[in-house]
Amino acid sequence: MSNKGARNLFIVGSLFFFAIFLALSFDTIGKLDKRAPEITEDVNAGKMVWHKYDCIGCHTIFGTGSYFAPDMTKVSERRPKEYLKQFMMDPKSVKPNAAMPKLGISSEEADHLIAFFDWISKVDTNGWPPKPILATAAGVNSRELSAGQKVYQSLGCSNCHTISGIGGTAGPELTHVGNKRDRAWLIGHFKNPDDYVPHSAMPKVKAPDADIEQLAEYMLTLK
Amino acid sequence: MTIKHESQKIAQNFYTFAVILFLVQIVVGIIAALQFIWPDFFILNFNTIKTLHINALIVWLLTGLMGATYYVIPEESETELWSVPLARLQFWATVVAITAVVLGYIWAGLNPQANKLVFGTLMLNEGRKYIEAPRWADNLIVISVLLFLFNCFMTVLKTKKWTGIQGVLLGGLTFLALMYIPGMFYTKSMVKDQFWWWWVVHLWVEGAWEIIAGALLAFMLMKVIGAKREVLEKWMYIEVGLVMFTGILGTGHHYYWIGTPAYWLWIGGIFSSLEPIPLLVMVWDAFRTTREARAVTNKAGLYYTVAHAIFNFVGAGLWGVIHTLPQVNRWTHGTQITTAHGHLAFYGAYVLLVMSMIYVTLPAIRGVKEFDPSRAFQAFWWMTISMIFIVLTTTGAGMVQTYMERLMGLDYVTVKASYNLWFWIVRAIFGVGFLIGVLIFVVDYFKLGKEPVRVIKAAPERA
Repeated sequence: MSNKGARNLFIVGSLFFFAIFLALSFDTIGKLDKRAPEITEDVNAGKMVWHKYDCIGCHTIFGTGSYFAPDMTKVSERRPKEYLKQFMMDPKSVKPNAAMPKLGISSEEADHLIAFFDWISKVDTNGWPPKPILATAAGVNSRELSAGQKVYQSLGCSNCHTISGIGGTAGPELTHVGNKRDRAWLIGHFKNPDDYVPHSAMPKVKAPDADIEQLAEYMLTLK
Repeated sequence: MTIKHESQKIAQNFYTFAVILFLVQIVVGIIAALQFIWPDFFILNFNTIKTLHINALIVWLLTGLMGATYYVIPEESETELWSVPLARLQFWATVVAITAVVLGYIWAGLNPQANKLVFGTLMLNEGRKYIEAPRWADNLIVISVLLFLFNCFMTVLKTKKWTGIQGVLLGGLTFLALMYIPGMFYTKSMVKDQFWWWWVVHLWVEGAWEIIAGALLAFMLMKVIGAKREVLEKWMYIEVGLVMFTGILGTGHHYYWIGTPAYWLWIGGIFSSLEPIPLLVMVWDAFRTTREARAVTNKAGLYYTVAHAIFNFVGAGLWGVIHTLPQVNRWTHGTQITTAHGHLAFYGAYVLLVMSMIYVTLPAIRGVKEFDPSRAFQAFWWMTISMIFIVLTTTGAGMVQTYMERLMGLDYVTVKASYNLWFWIVRAIFGVGFLIGVLIFVVDYFKLGKEPVRVIKAAPERA
């Protein structure tokens, strides 16, 4: 191949691939709004708060960002809103060993951010993030789950609490909670956490009494 | 080694600014590494430190490439630069604008409430990774780059010697300037925000910058070894052609999980898997040319040029391709594996590129016939060994994170704070090792050609 031929191949080929890329981009842009809910004023205001505090300087969103703090794509599904708001405004008041500093996010800004995260969590991301394989595998080794364990899973308690290493760290660890609490305390606390732990960020457990009792039974086995 | 045109000396202004920012980048990088261990370690939070770390990187590489271009264009056009005062003005305007932006970041870091919204844009930090610079600074940067390109094109037009090297170099730089624009407007949708953001980030580092690297690689091999222009330029076209053929649609590997249609899984997966090929051709090109080398006077220049080609392939190519398939990326996306790839890719592809351009051109600018390359070698090994360990530790951390967080379902914070702690400690130690290498390089940069060459005396004969 002559130099001129190589040069022309480079120029024409680049333009060709760029043209394909432009056409695909045009198609993509047209499809994006259908793959996500409508953007309200609150969602847009929340996005601006996200930018203002340079949240992406630590966190990731859709897996893109700074890898220093948790991904925010599904945060509004995995954490109760009351908890999120309290955490954003003053992280260490909810979780004393939180790495996140108090940035001065106002109550209104926190509400906007939550609306933004709610929008983000509903975007069609081709199934990302995938559900962890081991945490979702119920009845591993043909071991039946107890009624309380099933309640624990269906309410999503492990989003915030850890048992034997698996689960979130937003709330206290429950591996040995059976040693610390009795049945009456557990049931009362599930129904109204604030009565037992002042300023608790935990939401009330909204479930039938029978389920709450089963959950308490399960907690008591954790020793 | 001497320059043919007086105006090529302007390159040195840009190099000096680049070298100083390089040092700043590594110092804040070590602070960031320590914040992985102690989040409250410093007066500025991690987000500000990290913004400084990556912005210093981008700016010093760009100013380094600008300086290199101001050196290459007069040489290739065989004439003086169109306007030295304009180049000088553009240099100082860049320095002032960058300093203002940095002060803005620090201010916003100390007091986030100062980052006010004026006419729909944030005044100090736009909160978008890599392109945090606010709109007013974007405009200044565009003006600066346009002045720079104008000056270069006017120089070429003086003699109209459109050599392949300067054609591709200026083509790459123009593409770079154009691809800054998609990052300059606001969209209400975070999906569209990230869609356009990748146009800037991906089409820069895996498009325009690699084109510039291809052109400069050919230039350096020609200068250091005296290889034939004809052959070099032909391979350069093939390399940069393959960069574009694979890299443009390779952008798709960023469109897997951000809310974009699923056809990108196929397009991104296939084309980005091919992206290492042009980088491998560059390695082969460097080796083939180097084999012909007879008497090379600039040993440091040759060393860095070949190292650049190798680590461009390893960092940008191999470390990228390991997690580019959607089946793998589904689990590794957004983990420390990306951090590892980012570090080795930037080091291999662009840090070593600018450093090799400095070692190839600076002796001529300073009028040095011969210089002692020992400090250049020391700097290289301190930096390279440290970077390899930084990359291995973050890769290890990424594998642990992928397994424990993504597959087992452990909490992000548990994995980061407990299971990966050891990796952070080792990474920070090698960060200091890298800093030692940079310090040796900085000393070498300022002393090169300004101290008498050590004459190696023959050992006294034994009685």
